[in-house]
Amino acid sequence: MDAFHNLMMGFTVIFTPQNLWFCFLGSVVGTLVGVLPGIGPLAALALLLPVTFQLAPVAGLGMLTAIFYGAMYGGSTTSILVNIPGEAASVVTAIDGHEMAKQGRAGAALGMAAMASFVAGTLALIAVTFFSPVLTAFALRFGPPENFGLMLFGLVCTLYMISGSKIKGVLMLAVGFLAATVGLDVVNGRDRFTLGNINLAGGIEILSVVIGLYGVAEILVNCETITKNHMLAERIRGLWPTLADWRASWKPMIRGSFVGFFFGLVPGGGPVTASFMSYALERRVAKDPSRFGKGAIEGVAGPEAANNAAVSGSMIPLMSLGIPGNAVTALLLGALVIQGIQPGPMFITQRPDLFWGVMASMYVGNVFLLLLNLPLAGLWAQCLRIPYRVLFPMILLLSIVGTYSANKNVFDLWVMLGFGVAGYVLRKLQYDFSPFLIAFVLAPILEQSLRQSLVMSPDGVLIFMQRPLAAGLVVASVILAVLVFRQRKPIQPQGDMS
Amino acid sequence: MNPKKILSILGAGIMALGFACVASAQISPQVAKLKPKDFPTQSIEYTVVYPAGGALDITARLLAKHVEKATGDKILVNNRTGGAGMVGHTYLATGAKPDGYTVGVLVNLVWGDAMLRANGRWAYTDLEPIAYINSDPLTWVASTEGPYKGMSAKQIIQIARDKPGTVRVAIVPGSMWEYLVEQVEGATGAKFLRVPFQGGGPGVTALLGGSVDVAQGFYSEFRGYVDANKIVPIALASEQRTTYLKDTPTFNEIYGSKQFVWNIIRFAVVPKGTPADRKAYLAAGLQAALKDPELLAEYQKLGMYFDPALVKSTNIGADLNALALKEREFYVKTGRLK
Repeated sequence: MDAFHNLMMGFTVIFTPQNLWFCFLGSVVGTLVGVLPGIGPLAALALLLPVTFQLAPVAGLGMLTAIFYGAMYGGSTTSILVNIPGEAASVVTAIDGHEMAKQGRAGAALGMAAMASFVAGTLALIAVTFFSPVLTAFALRFGPPENFGLMLFGLVCTLYMISGSKIKGVLMLAVGFLAATVGLDVVNGRDRFTLGNINLAGGIEILSVVIGLYGVAEILVNCETITKNHMLAERIRGLWPTLADWRASWKPMIRGSFVGFFFGLVPGGGPVTASFMSYALERRVAKDPSRFGKGAIEGVAGPEAANNAAVSGSMIPLMSLGIPGNAVTALLLGALVIQGIQPGPMFITQRPDLFWGVMASMYVGNVFLLLLNLPLAGLWAQCLRIPYRVLFPMILLLSIVGTYSANKNVFDLWVMLGFGVAGYVLRKLQYDFSPFLIAFVLAPILEQSLRQSLVMSPDGVLIFMQRPLAAGLVVASVILAVLVFRQRKPIQPQGDMS
Repeated sequence: MNPKKILSILGAGIMALGFACVASAQISPQVAKLKPKDFPTQSIEYTVVYPAGGALDITARLLAKHVEKATGDKILVNNRTGGAGMVGHTYLATGAKPDGYTVGVLVNLVWGDAMLRANGRWAYTDLEPIAYINSDPLTWVASTEGPYKGMSAKQIIQIARDKPGTVRVAIVPGSMWEYLVEQVEGATGAKFLRVPFQGGGPGVTALLGGSVDVAQGFYSEFRGYVDANKIVPIALASEQRTTYLKDTPTFNEIYGSKQFVWNIIRFAVVPKGTPADRKAYLAAGLQAALKDPELLAEYQKLGMYFDPALVKSTNIGADLNALALKEREFYVKTGRLK
């Protein structure tokens, strides 16, 4: 029980008034940036990075990580209440969460989201605490072929996400792929589909896409009925999850935690992919998949657990190897370096106080966030009393500020607006954006890892069969694809195609 | 309800709680002498073209902290990111007002952007260097495990010559990572399997995972793995050995050449047309900070290298432009530029 002993040492490090205060502060800021649409953890972290110069490393890093996982708690709020995701990782929560809110069960959805985040965050932390060395070795084995297998698997899983018309779903998937090809070609470094515009040289910014498709489009749709709220205040009933909700949610929470943790751990994953995968999984295992999209609480509990577990999972390669899996962990790495700490394989042995201190702060922070978000659930649900004509201009303003603050590039705002208008038209035509978004997220990694693998391989595509992990993932994808195909075929006539 | 404001108020609150150390304003006389009457009346933006947390960002933030100390001016570090630096470079060259309130903190990858990707919309001469900050020579690293364990760069390159296409090396396409491999191949007749990555970091990660045999990176970024004996630096693309890697030979030593020089050079620029007095004042502030032993110690702790020739330079604009022209020659020679 060496890890246990170390963790206790970490708690002694973190239990000082100052360290606890910064952990709490990070939790509050994180919840806030999660709630505010457009303002993501990345922008908040970049803004607060200079503040940490003056802090002790454990306080500074504890605060920054709290913002990261705190944002995952808060991100579901606007998803559920007004169908506008606060974070890309909360897009999928909106599907069923907002339906629940429409049925007057916003409080239950918010409460369950907070609980799922807490359970997953804590479970994942326990895994980080006790299995870091093993998991590190596993994460390192994920080279390009394994990443390709994983992305392929993820893509096949999204076939379960397609609701309504299959043709429209596959079309959106294809458009998502195409949109993701804009930017630098990963192999020869040339510009692709940039139309000579330097702003497109780095590809289309995902934040602009999410805020445009989901935020702006939702506001436009509601403009038509802006004078009256969908949800009248009287219809808010039950601020807390019921016993039946708990019974339905605990398994999805556990599954979501595992899915999320895995996708956080491996290089190509991250909270966004994790939340989509968890949703697809819940739909697959559900006894009655038709409930999904109509307010199934499993569709909130699973993904919310997954995105939180993914954050904890991504701490493993960061802390034990100094490898950042995404932009936010890259910034955390920078914060360490500025403090004069060299992240890398020696980090845990050289600075056990810091590593275990931060781990302990994450346990504490999750408790703070639960205490913060459970009571807030009721409060946020009351926000539905605010008339849309007041609420939506505010959300639009925040979306613009948030989108701009990510890159400080006005072009991103035009992209946001463009996707907003496109989203409005597509909504009217009854297209579902989820396949688009998931393809947009997965395609760059899928393409890069495929092309890297083929470059690396002396035997062409056989490389995917020569490496056991990659082979397993590819085979699993094929089996799953066949299952989808066979299961879907008889249902097809019932789709929107007629 | 501007959320940035909320955050900055929160930030200010933290400061007010007494954890901030108040910088004692000791403005050096040389800087004070050059201060224009009407400048600055607002905060100065240091534009960083790569995301927060990276080596350039850290360089800029540490620099800003010390320039603030040396001048008493307020400096804001702003990351204008996108297109692998292209968005920020174009902003500095064409969008930023040349009024002294914008200073770009760049790396020399801007030259390649200007020559190969800007399509004549702007040139690197639209940005006037005012200070050299630090460098990082591109370094080849190999694993301490696997088939090439314990081999020197020369031995590995020899294998790539005897068995072409078997040694896998991580590159970043269209950048110095690729050019260096190209030069090595051209000089030795070796043939590598070039595996593309988006940045040096992912390449080093692939080396740790055994997906490539050689990676290329910078000491300040990979030193953690060297300390842990996971990877070993085998050759430097610099003119001479560096203080950090005294036992690692340079490619030029190995092959008795002068052509293998690929450094990341970090420097500060102002947009062309910035008034001369403001430019001189900004430069003086940067110089004062860059002489501060505290800042130099922080850079050294990070493993950043100071190129003696550039540190001593009296006309940094001319010296850096000379290096840019040398890079241009390479592009012309390899048919990338006419």
